[in-house]
Amino acid sequence: MSTKKIKSVLIIGIAGGLAKITATLLTKMHPNIKIIGIDSRRLDFQPSSPNITLIQAKYTRSNFENIFREHEFDSVIHLGRTSHASSNPLGSLAKRLDLNVIGTQRILDLCLKYEVKRVLILSTFHVYGAFADNPIFLKEDAQLRADFKHPEIRDVVEMDQVSSNWMWKNQDLIKTVILRPCNIVGPSIKNAITAYLTSSLSPIPLDFNPMFQFLHEFDMANLIAGGINKMKTGIYNVAPDDYISIRDAKKLVGKGGIPMSVFLLENAAQFIKRAWLDGPNYLIDYIKYPCLLDNNALKTIYPDFKFRFDSKDSLGFLKD
Amino acid sequence: MPFNFRDILDSFKVPDEEIDQIITHLESHYPNGSDPYGLDLKRAKKVLSILHPIYYKYFKVRVFGKENVQDSPYIVASNHSGQIAIDAMLICLAFVLEMEKPRVLRPLVERFVPAIPFIGQLFAEGGAVLGDRENCQRLLEQGESVLVFPEGVRGIAKNHEDYYKLQNFTKGFIRQALQAKKPILPIAVVGAEEFYPYVQHSKKLAKLLNAPAFPLTPTMLLGPLGLLPMPSPVDIYIGRPYELPEDIKPEASDNEIAPHLELIVEQIKDMILEGRKKRRPFWANKPLEND
Repeated sequence: MSTKKIKSVLIIGIAGGLAKITATLLTKMHPNIKIIGIDSRRLDFQPSSPNITLIQAKYTRSNFENIFREHEFDSVIHLGRTSHASSNPLGSLAKRLDLNVIGTQRILDLCLKYEVKRVLILSTFHVYGAFADNPIFLKEDAQLRADFKHPEIRDVVEMDQVSSNWMWKNQDLIKTVILRPCNIVGPSIKNAITAYLTSSLSPIPLDFNPMFQFLHEFDMANLIAGGINKMKTGIYNVAPDDYISIRDAKKLVGKGGIPMSVFLLENAAQFIKRAWLDGPNYLIDYIKYPCLLDNNALKTIYPDFKFRFDSKDSLGFLKD
Repeated sequence: MPFNFRDILDSFKVPDEEIDQIITHLESHYPNGSDPYGLDLKRAKKVLSILHPIYYKYFKVRVFGKENVQDSPYIVASNHSGQIAIDAMLICLAFVLEMEKPRVLRPLVERFVPAIPFIGQLFAEGGAVLGDRENCQRLLEQGESVLVFPEGVRGIAKNHEDYYKLQNFTKGFIRQALQAKKPILPIAVVGAEEFYPYVQHSKKLAKLLNAPAFPLTPTMLLGPLGLLPMPSPVDIYIGRPYELPEDIKPEASDNEIAPHLELIVEQIKDMILEGRKKRRPFWANKPLEND
């Protein structure tokens, strides 16, 4: 287990809420740290610390390598996966494949070339897929089946697989941690599940009621900031111990919704679905079938880490 | 005795106090009133109120061998009969309503069940769990008992001439018991076969509808009413727990496992035979001499 000090970190996807919190936590944990935050999106915010430098750039472009050349990063945190939260996920599949798969491969190759010591990649529990025949509590070695039914999520599965293959291939050279968190929620997070939970027009399933796990953005950022130095090479599910049914989650958030059969919704015309659910098609499966994570590997490898918020606490932050 | 409609209605009245006591006991096992598999004690209580008269008054269930059940985890293995899984429901109800310490028996269901709208949810709220090895091991480790039907669909979907003929038992449940180091509790259900006295299965229709089985019975001509099972009295026999030797590994060959499977099947067969001899009269009872 590497316990060397973290001096210089590259955070990819710094415009995201989670990346900002992670950067802030890192500056508190390591006062002399230098953080370069990169994102292709507009960076119209002030960093929380003078130790953080923001750069707007695309990491698929050739000049991205200059950043590695100019800064001797000892750690790279890849939080730059393009999400599916847009209303037209099919239309942007090629773009997402380029960014999430080719882009990730490029980042990892540069990490190797410039002798980065630690890499942390944020994947997602969506890679497992929500299926009626999922065992309760998916372990890290479960098959990644998300794209069996929804090809539009192929980029997420491929990104995870590219990272995993690279991780095992280079495990003697570089410490790599892949995290597969459950639903992350919090005031800074804009994702499909947050949109679903906070919309008064979203469907509340009458015919299914799967269990969900929710992770607060602070816990996720805290795990990344603390864990990059403490976790061994490997893939880890990230989820609190508790769980809540989707109906109870909607009730707890208190924004209402439309009770209906998601079986019928799934078979309804696309435009009707769009009116109710401004999110990716595969999300409907996640409100039908369970996709809970087994968190024992994380507990074993990082026993000091304690979640500050449980699923219900985390949902409480979506009330207002 | 003069006919009294009120007395009949009263006999179907659900003893709320008894159900409250059962739920209170179960809440000590499930403090949240739920579990990650979808169990929901609040909903289960409502369903229990509906099923209570069906269990006692309609199917007039009797349970023999309650003394064989301790408050500890088992793989409960039963014969399967009755075309639809009412036998599973009655066994689960027996463990809730009839045991000194009520417990939620977790039936392991076929993979298609959780995908059925409303039904999958209803099953899960009552304790059913997808029949998956990991789920089974996790439940047993947590001290839960699981209910399995080692005959599978072949057991439940029989033509009427095959009633009470045990189909081949798969060995998976024995391997699960070996892995979890838990005993197997054999169970025989007598009376469920006569829920639908005359049945022939259409393999062609089942294939056409992509269904595991498609039973045809003359009462279907009556429409939905004809699908109601007959009020055949049901007897549930609970056998002695079968402890597997500790020196057999879960990966043991089929030959090593076969003698144990045979003993379990024999125990179930004996209980079925005894049960059929002691059956209460019912017009559709299949006579022993017709076997």
